[in-house]
Amino acid sequence: MTKHNAPLVNYRVLLALTAGLVASFGGVARSSVATTQAPLRPITVNLQDKAALRNGALYTLHMCVACHSLQGVRYSSLRKILRMSRTRYEKVIGTNGSHYHDTITSTMPSGVIDAFVKILPPDLTVIARRRSPAWLYTYLTSFYVDPSRPSGVNNTVRYNVAMPDVFAPMQGLQKPVMVAGLRFGSPAQVAVGVQPLTQGSMSRAQFDRTARDIVDFLYAVGHPHEQERARLGPWILGLFLALSVLTYLIYRLYWRRVITSEERWWRVGK
Amino acid sequence: MRRVFGWFDDRLPISSTWRSQLTGYPAPKNFNLWYFFGSLAMVVLVLQLATGLFLAIHYQPNPDLAYWSVLRGIERDSRWGWLIRDIHIVGASAFFLLVYLHMYRGIMYGSYKKPRELLWLIGIFIYLALAAEAFLGYLLPWGQMSYWGSAVVTNFVTAVPVIGKPIATWLRGSFVVDLPTLNRFFVFHVFLVPVLLLALVLVHLIALHHVGSNNPDGVEIHDNVNESSWPRDGIPFHPYYTVKDLFGVSVFLVVFFWFVFYNPGGWGLLLDKLNYTPANILHTPADIHPLWFFLPFYAMLRGVPDKLYGIMAFGGSFVLLACLPLLDRNPVRSIRYRSVLYKINILMMAFSFLWLGYIAHGFATEHNMVDGLHVTEVFYSTFLLLPFFNRRRSARVKIVWLLAAEAVVWLVDLWMYSIHAHGWDLMLQTDWIPTLYILLLFGLAIVFPALAHDRRELPQRLTAGGLFH
Repeated sequence: MTKHNAPLVNYRVLLALTAGLVASFGGVARSSVATTQAPLRPITVNLQDKAALRNGALYTLHMCVACHSLQGVRYSSLRKILRMSRTRYEKVIGTNGSHYHDTITSTMPSGVIDAFVKILPPDLTVIARRRSPAWLYTYLTSFYVDPSRPSGVNNTVRYNVAMPDVFAPMQGLQKPVMVAGLRFGSPAQVAVGVQPLTQGSMSRAQFDRTARDIVDFLYAVGHPHEQERARLGPWILGLFLALSVLTYLIYRLYWRRVITSEERWWRVGK
Repeated sequence: MRRVFGWFDDRLPISSTWRSQLTGYPAPKNFNLWYFFGSLAMVVLVLQLATGLFLAIHYQPNPDLAYWSVLRGIERDSRWGWLIRDIHIVGASAFFLLVYLHMYRGIMYGSYKKPRELLWLIGIFIYLALAAEAFLGYLLPWGQMSYWGSAVVTNFVTAVPVIGKPIATWLRGSFVVDLPTLNRFFVFHVFLVPVLLLALVLVHLIALHHVGSNNPDGVEIHDNVNESSWPRDGIPFHPYYTVKDLFGVSVFLVVFFWFVFYNPGGWGLLLDKLNYTPANILHTPADIHPLWFFLPFYAMLRGVPDKLYGIMAFGGSFVLLACLPLLDRNPVRSIRYRSVLYKINILMMAFSFLWLGYIAHGFATEHNMVDGLHVTEVFYSTFLLLPFFNRRRSARVKIVWLLAAEAVVWLVDLWMYSIHAHGWDLMLQTDWIPTLYILLLFGLAIVFPALAHDRRELPQRLTAGGLFH
């Protein structure tokens, strides 16, 4: 059998040519971000920290739910996330007067939204999927005094936010750290951080802990199947990996016959 | 048992079909990695049908209920609902990825050439049906991106003069995307298009088995048969390729389920993060864009500052794909035996497509729109310049091609300048992209003619034996 001819140009040369072409065009890539972004404060969520999740649940259900809903979540399903018995859950966390199996809806009386809030506060069920934990953490801790706003406050990561600074009594007021930057392409003073202005009822460390706990809890309700994923994933991946090995061996077994036999079709000369 | 089977076999062509389509179907022995994607796409199709069935059972096609029927009813209240939904989400993207790779395989190895033109054309229709299926399904979760994406696309029809608007209203069943739209999209997504898709896949397979499979060498294995009229370069599809494809499927499912279990959102690419906000008819998002698999077409649409011409620009790319057998009439099938410049052109086809996707991933800034226009010109060039490679050209013909191609690109650009579509400065900044590409291609062909020559010797028989040679 004759060895087939080597290709005229080998793939390495071709790859080098293309790489050169790509590199020369790559210089065209430009940044299209026209607004200066405040840096996000890093956070690691820990779904194993029961105390943090329970603390986050308390603040979420007793503060946030005054305006926000979590329509995708039932009170009864929180029991599993917080790993409590039903009696203990009802005693410690509670259901805001709803039935145990109800979904979590805002306790704001109907009519209030139409009367003066105007904008429906976003549902928090999957807010941790819509926004990253770092974004939520930065958002919760970065309200600053801005007299130009109706609520008197603004936020570094959500410019002209409608939500009032409900944390002010706990955290105290904050003032912005302004830098010259861009907003929607035009030069503007942009808040990229905050500094404490007044002292609230909590110490800085206490409030930071509280904000982290709320993010932890919101992440947990946004990703209710994280534990199941972690438990099932390795088994399923392992199953298909094993299947890959098995089917590879079967494939080799069948194809060995094809490759080695001298009498097979393609071994016959031209 | 044998008698029972015999009873059925006498009345239904079971064993004869098995024989003719699997154990007796000769497949070239040298399929490489690129030949896994067809069978993998079929596996994903089955996965989508199976998961889609369960999703449809729990889904509520009503704007008031849809969003929460997905995020609460399916994901939280139904057992395994989250897993089934995530398989369906990852499956949609996997389907497109596999189909794109499958199509590029066809382009590389000339699988659209005689006698497989119709096979290719049916494939294009499968792609269009798949695109329709993905678009229709995307509205169902009733998130912000679902809603506004559908609003944008159903508005395409209004680009048609006079009758456009009534037709758009008729298609939506309403003046805006609303309950009637959601109802019909649901029905089309779970019934009409899947049936069409299955029928097209079946016809695709029938056509394939009628003309036989192409291969990486582009050799027609049926031209060289032994005494019992079996192709000397063919092996029975079953068991050889069934066991090989089983291996491919297993490896694919490892990657697939990694996404399903550990990254179902796919970094916001497989499922847009904005879709975690319920649809709001009063609030248009700042940036509406499709999922990753439609991004290149979106860049083409945005590149032209007119709705009708923009739609023609991206619709034209499907026409170009369908016309591939007419454009590339070179008798040499496989890229292995084509000229260097042809290879560069085919690589550029893929690269410009990816580049368009990258551009559309960014915001709709004027920069991105202009870049989109110019890279669209490159993408179109990679198709429209194919006839040049049909045979060897003299230096004079090469110069004519060069001038003509540059003239067409510059006429389009001058048109854009004349209607003040984009700023002069922006246009000039990236005008060189298509200009340089065409100049490079034909310049090299003129200076080094050998680069435009196909390999002289074509193999009469297959040169490689699968993965082991």
